[in-house]
Amino acid sequence: MISRRDWLRASLLTVGVGSVAVSAKLRAQQGSSGVVDTSNLFAMDQAAARSVRLPPKPGASPAMNNEDRDALEHRIRCQCGCTLDVFTCRTTDFSCQVSPAMHRDITALVDGGYSAQEILDAFVSVYGERVLMAPPKVGFNVVGYVLPGLAIAVGAVVLVILIRRWNRVEPRRAPVAASLDASPDELARLEAAIRDDS
Amino acid sequence: MIVVGELSLWIALLMATWCATVSFAGGLGRRADLIRSGERASYAASAFTLLAAIGLWKALLSRDFSLAYVASQISANMPNVYVFTAFWSGQAGSMLFWALILSLYSAIAVWSNRASNRELMPFVTGTLAAVLVFFLATTAFKANPYSRLDWLPIDGRGMNPQLQNPGMAIHPPNLYLGYVATAIPFAFAIAALVTRRLDAEWLAAVRRWSLLSWFFLTIGIVLGMWWAYVELGWGGYWAWDPVENASFLPWLTGTAFLHSIMIQEKRGMLRKWNVTLVVVTFLLSILGTFITRSGIIESVHSFAQSPVGSWFAAFLAVSIAVTAYLVATRLHDLETKAGLESMVSREAAFLYNNLLLVGIAFSVLWGTLFPILSEWVRGEKITVGPPFFNAVNIPLGLLLLGLTGVGPLIAWRKASLSNLRRQFLVPALSGVAFTALLLALGMRNGYALVSYMLAAFVAATIVQEFAKGVGARRSIHRESLPIAFVHLVARNRRRYGGYIVHAGIVMLFAAFAGLAFRKEFDVSLTASQAFEATDPYGRRWRFVSQGVSTAKTLNRLVTAVALEVQRDGKPVGFIKTEKRQYFDSQERPTFEPSTEVGIKTEARLDTYVVLAGVRDDSAELRITFNPLVIWVWIGGALMALGGIVVMWPQAERRRQSGYAAQLRPATQAEEAVPVG
Repeated sequence: MISRRDWLRASLLTVGVGSVAVSAKLRAQQGSSGVVDTSNLFAMDQAAARSVRLPPKPGASPAMNNEDRDALEHRIRCQCGCTLDVFTCRTTDFSCQVSPAMHRDITALVDGGYSAQEILDAFVSVYGERVLMAPPKVGFNVVGYVLPGLAIAVGAVVLVILIRRWNRVEPRRAPVAASLDASPDELARLEAAIRDDS
Repeated sequence: MIVVGELSLWIALLMATWCATVSFAGGLGRRADLIRSGERASYAASAFTLLAAIGLWKALLSRDFSLAYVASQISANMPNVYVFTAFWSGQAGSMLFWALILSLYSAIAVWSNRASNRELMPFVTGTLAAVLVFFLATTAFKANPYSRLDWLPIDGRGMNPQLQNPGMAIHPPNLYLGYVATAIPFAFAIAALVTRRLDAEWLAAVRRWSLLSWFFLTIGIVLGMWWAYVELGWGGYWAWDPVENASFLPWLTGTAFLHSIMIQEKRGMLRKWNVTLVVVTFLLSILGTFITRSGIIESVHSFAQSPVGSWFAAFLAVSIAVTAYLVATRLHDLETKAGLESMVSREAAFLYNNLLLVGIAFSVLWGTLFPILSEWVRGEKITVGPPFFNAVNIPLGLLLLGLTGVGPLIAWRKASLSNLRRQFLVPALSGVAFTALLLALGMRNGYALVSYMLAAFVAATIVQEFAKGVGARRSIHRESLPIAFVHLVARNRRRYGGYIVHAGIVMLFAAFAGLAFRKEFDVSLTASQAFEATDPYGRRWRFVSQGVSTAKTLNRLVTAVALEVQRDGKPVGFIKTEKRQYFDSQERPTFEPSTEVGIKTEARLDTYVVLAGVRDDSAELRITFNPLVIWVWIGGALMALGGIVVMWPQAERRRQSGYAAQLRPATQAEEAVPVG
C-alpha cells in the first residue's frame, strides 16, 4: 500500500503534465476553426489533394497490373477526411474529388515504371506518413507495433507468477454455515441451487 | 414548453449539485436526513432533466429554428422520425441525452436499492449525482441546445443524409444506454472503496447493471456495424475508426468483468482486479466520449473542433485521480481471500480470458491514441488504420475464441485428465474434422482455417453442453425435446444464456473469417450492358444494367441504377443502388451526395453494389461479393438474446448459488456433474 503523500505527489505530477499537454492540443485545434456545432460525421475537405508526380523512368512500362495497383491503393489513405483508403473511397463516393486525384497520381507513377515502394515513398514525401494506412515499421513506430504484444507478454508472465503464488496458498476453508444470517430453509434452497450450478 | 425545458436544465443542474453535496455529507456524517434529501434530489434531478429533454423534443418537432441546435440539425421538410432522432444527432442534444439517461438510471438505481445496501447508497447516490453534474454543466455552459440565434432562419440546415437511416436512429441511443450504464457499477465501486465494504455485497448490486451495459453496448456496436455496411457504402462493417474503437473498449473490459466476477463469487478471488475493471470500464466510456467530442483524433464521426473536449479531459483526469487514490489506499482491504489450485482449471481459464480481453483493449486503445503520441514525440502525424489493428488483434481474437470453448467446460479448482478427455475429446475432433473438410474443399487461407477450426471446436462444446443437459432432463423428467430444452435454459439462465452468447460469438468469428474470400470489381455499365464475375464459391454471376433513372421525392433527388442479376444462368431478381442529393425546403442542395447501397443477401454471401456515380450515361459501379455477412447480424442478435436470457430476473436468484459455493468448496464429484 502506498502512502497518501506519495500518491498525491505522483498523481499531481501525472495529472498536471497530462492536462497541460491535452489542453495545448485542444487549444491548437479549437483555434483553427470557428465551427461551433455540426453533425457527428466528418466534413469533407475537397481541396486536400496535392500533386505527387515524378518524371517517367527512361523506357518506362507499367510497373504493375491493375490488381496490384488496386492493392497498392488500399495502402494509401484518402485525404478528404473519410479515413478510407484511396481505392475504397474513389469506388464508393463519386462526390469526393480527392481520391480520384490521388488515383490519377498513382496511375501516372505506375505507368512511369515506379515500384509500389517507390510510389509509397513519393506519397510520404508529399503528404507525410499520415498518407499510409499503417505506419512503416521503423523508428518510433516500432514502439507502436511492439508494445501491445509486449504488454500482453508481461501480463502473461505476471499472471503465471500470481497463479503460482496463489497455488502455494492453502485454499481458505469457507466460513461455516453457522456464521450466516440465513434460515435452515434458505440454506437448503442454496444447497439445491449449488447442485444445479457448475 | 421550450422555455420550461430550458429552465428545467438549470434546475436539474442545481438539483444534481445539491444531491451530490448532501449525499456525500450524509454518508460521511451518517446523517439520515441528508441522505434522504439526497435521494429525493436524485429523483428531482431526473424529473427536471426529463423536462429539459421534452422541451428540446418540442422545439425540434415544432421546427423552432430560432434555436441554433434545431436550425443546425433539421430542415422543415425532414420526416418526423428523423426530426425526433435529431435530439441525439448533434453535439448539444446528445450531451443532454447522456444526462437524461444517466439521471433516469440514477433514479432507478437509487429507488431499487433504497432498502438495501444502506451503507453504500449515500456514496452511490453522490457519485452518480457528481457525474450528472458534470454532464449537465457541460450541456448548460458549453453545449447548450437551447442557445438562440440572433436571427430567425427560414429553414434549417437539415440532417446529414447518412444519418437518416433506421440503424442510425437506434444505434446511438443503444450505445449511450450502454456507456451510461457503466456509471452505476462505477458508483457502487466508489462507494465500496470509500466505505471499505469490499466483500461480494457491492458486486451483487452491480452485476445486473454491468450486464445491462454489456447488452446495450453489444446491440449498439452491431447496429453501428450494420449502419456502416448499408449506408456508408465502402463494403465493410468495421474499419477500426477511433469512434468504433471507443465503443469497443468498454465492451471488452465489461466482458472481462462479467467473467472475472464469477471467480470472485465462487472463490472470493480477484477483488482488486474486479474493482479495477469496473472503474476502467467507466473511464473508458468517458474516454470514448472524449475522443468523439474533442476532435482530438481524426475520425469519420468527428464532432468538429468541439468546445467540450477540454471539459471531458478535466473530468477524466479528476476521475482517474480520485479512483486511483481510493484503490491505492485500500489495497489491503482488497487482498485475495483464496488460493488457486491449478493452472488447468476454470478459474485459470477465466484469468487467461481476462488477460486476452484486457490485452485486446490495451492494443486497441494504444493504436487509437498512438497517432497523438507520435505527433507529440516526433511532430509527425501518422495514420493507424486496419492493417495495424488486424495484425495485432486477429491472433489475440483467435486465442480468445479458443478459450470461449475451454472456459465453460473445464472444472473449477483443478481439472483432472479424465475431465479434460470427457469434455474436450469430441469438440477437439470436431474442430480437426471440420478443418480437414475445408482443406479437402480447397481452402488455403491460414487465418481462415484456424478460425473455422476454433469455431467448430467451440460450437461443438456448446452443442455438447446442450445435448448433455437436454438428455439428462429427458431421461429424468420424461420431457419432449423442445420442452426439455426450454426447461433446461429456464432452470439455469445464467449458464445457458452464456452459451447462447458464445454461440453468437462463434457466428461472428465465422463471418469475420469469410471476409478473407471477399472479391470486388470496379465496373462501368451503360444501359443493357452486362458484366460477368465468379463468386468465391465458384458460381457465375451476370449483371445486366437497366440504365440510369432519376426521380425527385420529398427532400431528395435520386439517381438510380437497377441491375438484373443471374446466378449460374438462372434469374435471381434485381439489385438497385442509388445516389441521393438532398435539398432543403427552398430546394437548395444540402450536404454532399450520399450513397444507397444495393444488397442481395443470401446465407452464403451478400452481393453488394454501389453506384459511385454517373458519367455520360454510364454507371460507375463497384460490385462486391461479401461472404457470410448475414451471420454477423444473426450472431449479434444471438448475443443480445443470450444477454436477455442471462439478465432475466430468475438469474438473480440463481446468482445466490454462486455465493453459496463460497460456503462449501465443491467436490470433484459435483464438478463433474452436468447440469440437468
